[in-house]
Amino acid sequence: MAFLRELVDKLARPVHDIRAERLQEWARSIEGTVPIAEAQCRCRCKIAGVIQNIRIDPREASGSIEATVNDGTGRMVVKWLGRQQLSGIRLGAGLIFEGTVGEGPRKRLQVLNPEYQLLPAPEHG
Amino acid sequence: MSRSATALKRLIVGRPMSSGELGHTLLPKGIALPVFASDALSSMAYATQEILLVLALVGVAALSLVVPIAIAVALLLAIVIVSYRQIVRAYPGGGGAYVVAYENLGFTSGLAVGAALLLDYILTVSVSITAGGDAIVSAMPGLADQKVGLTLALIALVTLANLRGSKESGRIFAVPTYGFVVAIYILIITGLVKCVGGCPQAESAGEHLEPEAMLTAFVLLKAFAAGTTALTGVEAIAEGVPVFRFPQSKNAATTLGILGVLSISMFIGVSWLTDHTNVVYTEEAARTVVAQVAHAIFGGGPMFYVIQILTALILILAANTAYTGFPVLASILAKDKMMPRQFRNRGDRLVFSNGIVILAISASLLVVIFDANLNKLIQLYLVGVFLSFTLAQAGTVMRWRRTREPGWRKSAAINAFGGTVTGIVLVVVILTKFKTGAWIIILATPLVMFLMRAVYKHYTYVSDQLAHPDRKPLDRRPGNAHFVILVRRVDAAAARAVGFARATRSADISAVTFDAANHAPWRRLAPDIPLETLRTQGHDFLLTHLRERRASLPRNDFLTVMTPEVLAAEGWYEIIRHPGLHRLKAKLVKEPNIQVLDIPLLATDIGPGVDEAQEPARNHVVVLISAVHNAVLEAIEYAETLRPTDIRAVSFGLDPEETERLGDRWLEARIPHPLEIEESPYRDLGESVIRYIERFDPDGVNRVVTVVIPEFIVSKQRHQVLHGHTALIVKRRLLFENGVVVVSVPYHL
Repeated sequence: MAFLRELVDKLARPVHDIRAERLQEWARSIEGTVPIAEAQCRCRCKIAGVIQNIRIDPREASGSIEATVNDGTGRMVVKWLGRQQLSGIRLGAGLIFEGTVGEGPRKRLQVLNPEYQLLPAPEHG
Repeated sequence: MSRSATALKRLIVGRPMSSGELGHTLLPKGIALPVFASDALSSMAYATQEILLVLALVGVAALSLVVPIAIAVALLLAIVIVSYRQIVRAYPGGGGAYVVAYENLGFTSGLAVGAALLLDYILTVSVSITAGGDAIVSAMPGLADQKVGLTLALIALVTLANLRGSKESGRIFAVPTYGFVVAIYILIITGLVKCVGGCPQAESAGEHLEPEAMLTAFVLLKAFAAGTTALTGVEAIAEGVPVFRFPQSKNAATTLGILGVLSISMFIGVSWLTDHTNVVYTEEAARTVVAQVAHAIFGGGPMFYVIQILTALILILAANTAYTGFPVLASILAKDKMMPRQFRNRGDRLVFSNGIVILAISASLLVVIFDANLNKLIQLYLVGVFLSFTLAQAGTVMRWRRTREPGWRKSAAINAFGGTVTGIVLVVVILTKFKTGAWIIILATPLVMFLMRAVYKHYTYVSDQLAHPDRKPLDRRPGNAHFVILVRRVDAAAARAVGFARATRSADISAVTFDAANHAPWRRLAPDIPLETLRTQGHDFLLTHLRERRASLPRNDFLTVMTPEVLAAEGWYEIIRHPGLHRLKAKLVKEPNIQVLDIPLLATDIGPGVDEAQEPARNHVVVLISAVHNAVLEAIEYAETLRPTDIRAVSFGLDPEETERLGDRWLEARIPHPLEIEESPYRDLGESVIRYIERFDPDGVNRVVTVVIPEFIVSKQRHQVLHGHTALIVKRRLLFENGVVVVSVPYHL
């Protein structure tokens, strides 16, 4: 029975856990990056994650575009001010960015106008 | 789903795959050949037999004609392959006959090819798997009585494999396909060697046939038409060009050439052996022609069984080609609005599950109707093949004339010749097979075309209406919100409804009930809101009441019916327990310009002292969208009347192409609210919405999330199947989430 329960556990494992694990592996494989869970406020960090949310806000004067990335350890917001379109920013794309981590609204970690580089989506992202 | 049910499902179809796992794996020629050619090569397993079956009507003497007829068919095959090598060059993007015909010959030709190909894929599955079953029965005659059951089981097996999806299937294809080719070559070469001193004779050699017909030109044409089954499957490579390694067109053309050489040599070789071992084949024969030839050449030895097994395998793989072709074609047709949009959805395993299931059901039906009889099924087969060959080549000729690339005259001449020849063969096939079954396809194709055209017209009408410029909401005076609370009992859910309505600062909130006993507790809960008792417990009275209210309001205003309800427990039976309420909601959604707002509350989520109406301090409105159109604009305008803390539109990116344009469209429409595009990695909208909403941490008392669902209502009930049931799915999933209010904003077309 114990064996059976183990099998059921293994098979019924939430897909989001499996995905988070794969994302972590992928992010770790990119040199010089810091996991989001370990990124402190005001540190200048290089982070790699997958874009899971894109937000455009027409109310802001010259527009802004925000991407929320996830590296399997946590989520972080990357925000570019003064533009409404960025080519290549799409759901599921891999993003490596480097900038100073700050605190945005609702105490979320946020990086403003970072240098960035797009990667093809990690295979299991 | 319970954990053990999840475990069981994953055991059978595998773990759900995220959209990111969809990647192209490009195939080298050596793998592409078995993947795409198994269909074409597999027809070698029954093409000779079909010729023989026709000739048998004239008597034993006519059977020798199998070789010249096979040569004629081989010539036709060569012509088609040379012609298709041009198509592959012209269309490096793949797409096959449908795209070529639609692009160059117009809508009706596109429809014709689409319909013909869909039917053809269904037949490919029925025919190939039935033939595979025949090969198994030839090796194990004991199974003959279970033929239909065996065939259906094989279809189920292939269906399951395809629902799992198989990126790595290329290598699995390679072994049986190459195995079959090698085995047939061994058969032919051994046969040639053994024939030097007089051929071994087949078990049926010397059987007497009672001639039923004279040898006429018509019989010859009929035999030729029967043999053209050898051509089925050639188009698969043209459809799969994008999966080839670079240079794609060149590699695909080379693969086509190799396929041609293999097919022609195998076909003529087997036909020659059939003639020299004197196989006599009739409908009553226990074994297939290839089985009889193999038995004559190898005796009952292991090589005989090897050939039977490989034949069965390659036939099953041929069916698999249809399993890749049909769902992809259906999704392309759905994108072009010719089929229901559900065919574009990728399932858990990233395959087009709906297409796969429909294909399996249709093919199984055919097998049952035709009693797994290959010779009957195959009569239906060729019309679609030659129709699409002909239109694809004609379309390519038009393309050459238009583009005038260097050397276009030669290419156009090749395609024109090929198209003319296949066109003539199409006529021959129709004439010779009309009575024996082709009439079914000749009737079915226009019927399918008609249905597809109806679907197209409906979708076009809907998108025209949704984009209709008469509605410019942002230039208009914003409307006011009016609320009618439907009070079934005065309970915690009713209290939440009152709090929610008050928070909108609406000047017009009223309540109705069917039960006069509710008046006293209502006065304690909300003395400021008038409660009216409707005379009878009938929904029609309520509807009349609401319609009158609606008619008295300005067009720009919104009338919202709030339906608070306390649910005893989480689960399906809660929905079943109150059938009346759900019927009512379904009716209300169809009422023009009335919004239905659900305030469900699980009994277990009721905290102490919440029978008082408390205004939520924060109300976050999330408008679910997938595109920008009038129904969305209406929903956003509605959201504004709720005076919430904030409004945002969220798209879950289920349609990548639409999502690509969404940002631009949003900015163009000048909607003064943020737009978020949130991932839904497992394409499960209900689950993704819940995950998204959890971030707001709603409690229903202080923090509420209002999910606004723009819903366009089509006037005819039967058209509803052409639209997703997004609203329904999301509402059902959100029913049990604490602090979430769901409102659908209907937009009537």
